Amino acid sequence: MASRGGGRGRGRGQLTFNVEAVGIGKGDALPPPTLQPSPLFPPLEFRPVPLPSGEEGEYVLALKQELRGAMRQLPYFIRPAVPKRDVERYSDKYQMSGPIDNAIDWNPDWRRLPRELKIRVRKLQKERITILLPKRPPKTTEDKEETIQKLEKKEEEVTSEEDEEKEEEEEKEEEEEEEYDEEEHEEETDYIMSYFDNGEDFGGDSDDNMDEAIY
Amino acid sequence: MTQAEIKLCSLLLQEHFGEIVEKIGVHLIRTGSQPLRVIAHDTGTSLDQVKKALCVLVQHNLVSYQVHKRGVVEYEAQCSRVLRMLRYPRYIYTTKTLYSDTGELIVEELLLNGKLTMSAVVKKVADRLTETMEDGKTMDYAEVSNTFVRLADTHFVQRCPSVPTTENSDPGPPPPAPTLVINEKDMYLVPKLSLIGKGKRRRSSDEDAAGEPKAKRPKYTTDNKEIFRSLPVGYNISKQVLDQYLTLLADDPLEFVGKSGDSGGGMYVINLHKALASLATATLESVVQERFGSRCARIFRLVLQKKHIEQKQVEDFAMIPAKEAKDMLYKMLSENFMSLQEIPKTPDHAPSRTFYLYTVNILSAARMLLHRCYKSIANLIERRQFETKENKRLLEKSQRVEAIIASMQATGAEEAQLQEIEEMITAPERQQLETLKRNVNKLDASEIQVDETIFLLESYIECTMKRQ
Repeated sequence: MASRGGGRGRGRGQLTFNVEAVGIGKGDALPPPTLQPSPLFPPLEFRPVPLPSGEEGEYVLALKQELRGAMRQLPYFIRPAVPKRDVERYSDKYQMSGPIDNAIDWNPDWRRLPRELKIRVRKLQKERITILLPKRPPKTTEDKEETIQKLEKKEEEVTSEEDEEKEEEEEKEEEEEEEYDEEEHEEETDYIMSYFDNGEDFGGDSDDNMDEAIY
Repeated sequence: MTQAEIKLCSLLLQEHFGEIVEKIGVHLIRTGSQPLRVIAHDTGTSLDQVKKALCVLVQHNLVSYQVHKRGVVEYEAQCSRVLRMLRYPRYIYTTKTLYSDTGELIVEELLLNGKLTMSAVVKKVADRLTETMEDGKTMDYAEVSNTFVRLADTHFVQRCPSVPTTENSDPGPPPPAPTLVINEKDMYLVPKLSLIGKGKRRRSSDEDAAGEPKAKRPKYTTDNKEIFRSLPVGYNISKQVLDQYLTLLADDPLEFVGKSGDSGGGMYVINLHKALASLATATLESVVQERFGSRCARIFRLVLQKKHIEQKQVEDFAMIPAKEAKDMLYKMLSENFMSLQEIPKTPDHAPSRTFYLYTVNILSAARMLLHRCYKSIANLIERRQFETKENKRLLEKSQRVEAIIASMQATGAEEAQLQEIEEMITAPERQQLETLKRNVNKLDASEIQVDETIFLLESYIECTMKRQ
C-alpha cells in the first residue's frame, strides 16, 4: 500500500512493479494506446484450413439441407398469422390462405400433455358442415372447365394447382374464419363466462325456508 | 445460459419451427420455469399461439412441464436440447453407417417428429422405403420392426416416460397435467408387436419380442484372457501377438489404454477421461496453430508440457528471440488461452519480488473455446440467412421455372419449349445462383465442422466436471 501511494506521488511514468520481470526492457517504447474499437473484419494472417470434403462430408451436408427443408413443411412449423389488410380483396379467395390461427394441424397425444394446452374448437361443428356443401359443387365444375381449355398453359396450370389446394384450404379457411370470430368474441370479454349468472336459479333456492320473506 | 448460447438457440428454433415458437422458446430459456399465462403476458403473444408453440416444443422434447401446488403447470426449456438440433444430420448419418437405410429412416422420422409410437414409425418408414423400391416390390413391416428393436437394444432409441395407469381411487377432476413416470428397466424395452405388413396376411412374427434385457454388470477392467476369447473369429492373432499389442497400447504416451494390474495375465482398462483430455488438448493446440502460427503453437506446447514456466525460460526452451516470444505470449494471454500465476517471494506480495508464471488451464481454455464455437455457429447461420434473403427474388424465380419445367415435362412438351423456359433465367443470373449455392454449401459445411468441435469440448468438460 505504501509503495503504491508512493509511486503515484513520485513520478507519473513509474509503475508499481518491476517492469523487467514482465519482459519490457529499459528504454523500450510501450505500444501506443488504442483509441478506437478493433476493426470489424481484421485482415487474416493465416488462411483457414480447408473443410473436409469427400463422400461423408457431402452426404451429411445434403442431409442437413434436406432436414431443414423438410422441417419447414411439417405442421410443427408455425407461421405467424398473415396480417389482415384494410379492405377485403377478391384475390384473397385465390391466394394460399395464411396459417390456421387457432387450431393445430397435427394430433398430439393429449394424454401426455397438460389439459390447458388444448385449444377448444368444438362449438362450430354444425356451422362448418352447412357452409361446405354449397361451396363444393361450383369448385369441381370450375376445375373441369379449366382442364378442357388449354389456351394459356402456364397460368392455368399454376392456378389449377392452386385450386386443388384451395379445395382443402377452403374448408379450413371457413373454419378458421368462423373460429376466429367465435374465439375473438369469447376472449374479448374480461369476465369468465362460467361466472355469469343469468338469474334463472334465483327463485328456486329459497324453497326450504318459507319463513323468511323474499325481497 | 450465456448470451451466445441463447442467440444460437434462437436462430435454431427460428429456422426449424418459425418465429412464434422461437419467441416462446427463447423467453423460457431466459427466464426459467413459468406458467402459461405468465408466458403469454410477458411475451405479448396471444394465449392460443402460446399454446400451439408449447405443444410443438413439448412434442420435440425441448420443453418439459411440471405440476406445482394449486394445480399450476409450469414449463421449463432445456437449452442444451435445443443446441443438439445442430447434430441431427450427424446422428442420421451414423445410423446409416451402422444400420443401413432402414435405420437411417427410422431415426430421421423420430427426429423430425419428436416422439412417435413404434407402429407409426414402422408404417411411415415402410411407406417411404416402398416408394424408392422398384415397381411391384414392397417393404415388409417385419424388417423395419427388427431394425427398430436393434436400435432400441443399442440405445439409439429410447422409450418416453408414459402416463401411469391410475386405479381410479380419486374420481375427482383429472389433474391438470399428467405426471409421466418411467421405469429405468423399461427404457429400452420394446413391446411385443405383431405388425402385419402392407395388407398381405402374414403370420404374426414373434421375433420382435425383446423380453427382459439381461442385467449387465458394468465392466471396468477386462483381463487378457477375456480379450482373447472375445476377439472376432477372422482375426487370427495369437496370444503373444495380442500381448504385444496390448502392451503397446498401454505404453503409449496418450494413455488411452491403461494397465491396472497383472492378475489374469494383465488387467486393462480404457481411460475415457484421459482420452477426452488428450483430444481437447489437441484441439486447443490446433486452434492456436491455425490462429497464431506455428511458433506460437510451439510455445503453447512448451507451456503445456512444463505446466508452469517463467517468461525468461520460455525464450530459452523454445529457442525463439525474446521480443517475439514476449509478443506471442501476450497475444495468447490476451485471448485467454493462457493464464498467469503469481507466486510471491515475500509476504507483502510486492510485485518486484513476485514470480509470474505462465500456465495453461485446459478446462478453462476449453470453456472459452466452446463459447467461441457457439458464437461462430451463430455467425455462420446469420450469414447464411442473410445470403439467402439477399437473393430471395432470384431463388423464387428459379424455383418457379423448375416447377414449370417439371409440369411441362409431365404433360409432354417439345425441346424447343423447354429451352425457351430455361432461358427465362439469364446467364449472369445463373452465375449468381451458382455462387449463392457454393457459399451456402460452404457455410453449412462449416457449421457441421464446428459442431464436431463442440461435441468434443462438451464431452471433455462434462467428463471433467463429473469427476470433481
